[in-house]
Amino acid sequence: MIYLFQLVNGIGLGMLYFLLAVGLSIIFGLLHFVNFAHGAFYLLGAYFVYDMTERGLNFWAALLVAPFIVAGLAALTESVLLRRIYHLPHTFHILVTVGLALMVQELVIILWGPVGGNVSTPGALSGVLMLGDFIYPQYRLFVIGLTLVLAIGLWWLLEGTRLGAVVRAGSESTDMVSLLGIDILRVNTAVFALGAGLAGLAGALAAPIRGVEPFMGVEALGIAFVVVVIGGMGSYTGALIAGLLVGIVQSIMTTLWPEGARLMIYLGMGLVILTMPRGLLGRA
Amino acid sequence: MNRASLHFLLAALVAIALPLFMRSGTLASEVLIFAMAAAACNLLLGYTGLLSFGQGIFFGLGSYAAGLTLLHTSLPLALALVLSAITGAVVATGVGWLSIRRQGVYFVMLTLAFSQFFYFLAYTFKDITGGDNGLLNIPRPAIGPFSLGESWAYYAFVAVLFLLLFAALQRVASSTFGRTLLAVRDNEERARAIGFPVRNFKITAFAISGAVTGLAGALHALLIGVAPLSNIDYHMSESILIMTIIGGTGNLFASVLGAGFYVIVSDLLSSIWPRWLLLLGGLLIVVALFMQKGLWGLLERLVEALPMGRKSSINSSIESPIQPESEGRGI
Repeated sequence: MIYLFQLVNGIGLGMLYFLLAVGLSIIFGLLHFVNFAHGAFYLLGAYFVYDMTERGLNFWAALLVAPFIVAGLAALTESVLLRRIYHLPHTFHILVTVGLALMVQELVIILWGPVGGNVSTPGALSGVLMLGDFIYPQYRLFVIGLTLVLAIGLWWLLEGTRLGAVVRAGSESTDMVSLLGIDILRVNTAVFALGAGLAGLAGALAAPIRGVEPFMGVEALGIAFVVVVIGGMGSYTGALIAGLLVGIVQSIMTTLWPEGARLMIYLGMGLVILTMPRGLLGRA
Repeated sequence: MNRASLHFLLAALVAIALPLFMRSGTLASEVLIFAMAAAACNLLLGYTGLLSFGQGIFFGLGSYAAGLTLLHTSLPLALALVLSAITGAVVATGVGWLSIRRQGVYFVMLTLAFSQFFYFLAYTFKDITGGDNGLLNIPRPAIGPFSLGESWAYYAFVAVLFLLLFAALQRVASSTFGRTLLAVRDNEERARAIGFPVRNFKITAFAISGAVTGLAGALHALLIGVAPLSNIDYHMSESILIMTIIGGTGNLFASVLGAGFYVIVSDLLSSIWPRWLLLLGGLLIVVALFMQKGLWGLLERLVEALPMGRKSSINSSIESPIQPESEGRGI
């Protein structure tokens, strides 16, 4: 029974990892831009929910608003700063986004202190679900349900809409898309905001489960990298499978060897790289 | 005087000047220790085109290796340092071997993920590493007849090692091996086509970088008497990389500038304002936008602006690997 519990836990965790990593992945796919500030957007999402609920705002309202604020900030950053450095080598992309991540982390400490805090589970979902012997917190089930809906919505957005078509075409050739008369600059901003917003949402959803602290962004960045390395960069399905895999491995290991749970994630990544250098579903 | 000798002379000047201008022998030692780590990082970034986010692994493991040796055995100091350099080299060979299986950004992400792996490894095995507390009370034994207890005596020891290693890294960089690394950096396909064993060259560069970084980590643990968990965490890797890039990747002396700037400024600012990293983050963005050749590039421009500025004699020994017009596949 404990393993079933941890398996469901792992699915929830894995779906959050998926949200986090898929944003990084689509940003890279279209913009060929490695966003080391991705963890910072996750951090901001979590802290916005923390701040708003501390001020007495309803959790659901906070959950709805926080990702959009994160996406807005990301759109601003993209159009003011990042747009100017796309033509530079990756080294400078990394330098600028590492700088951004540092600034966000320090601002979070200035505004909310170095310790962090807890976000209480919203009242309606603070109970548990009982199915015979199986007892499970309702909020975590809600997270699984919501992320599943979002995953399907995102798949539809990328595969079934005009924006998705432009994004996929842009991943192949930005110049060609521009020649077709599409304003690629706006698409870039939209995709960057979408990816960052997803990271912000992952942070917001995770806040009641794990609490908030200023260094959760760095940890999230490491996890997101593991997921895209295992799943293959630019692959939606890869991010989904790898996210779930990492989440489930981490959860099950928490029972078997609590201290080593996070260690196992990175060990698993090493094994994948050894056997499948391109990741599970990666292209070149 | 050729450029390598000029740069060595500049490094020696720094080592001599630090005691004249600084009140704290500990801080001065820290400058030279991080200068070694940054120069080793530069061998990978500037000379081989490998942006490694894993330098903290070698630094931290070097700290632990030296600490464990001195705490649990009666081996002499020199041997403890050699062991930490070997530890750095061996682990760097492994990390390098795995990471270079992917190129470009994947490579960077892999090195970062490995740095997380080793952080959690150190965190998990608390019995060996002391976990959050670190390895405490590491002794600093005498080297031969020389006691290193006093902070300036230790500085002198660090300075001698620094100059030896700096000269050694310069030899590596100017050797056929070093020249080949530049070829790999500039055009890996071509280097491979010519018949160079590119993989082996990259792994060797990693091993050398790991050895120097491991030794620097050991010297740091001896300096503060502790091998803290923070010596192996993400921020250590990040700091070493930042020092290297701020200094400039054109030549090894630039890394000394970068480390000196970072260590001294962080010491000054952190005593005034604990959140100084906010400013550092802003500085990184400024460097990327306006100072792509780092502090060394700035120095070059200053020298050229002087009326009697000698043209080109101070130019970096290698061209900057980072050219804005390239397409960004250069990592």
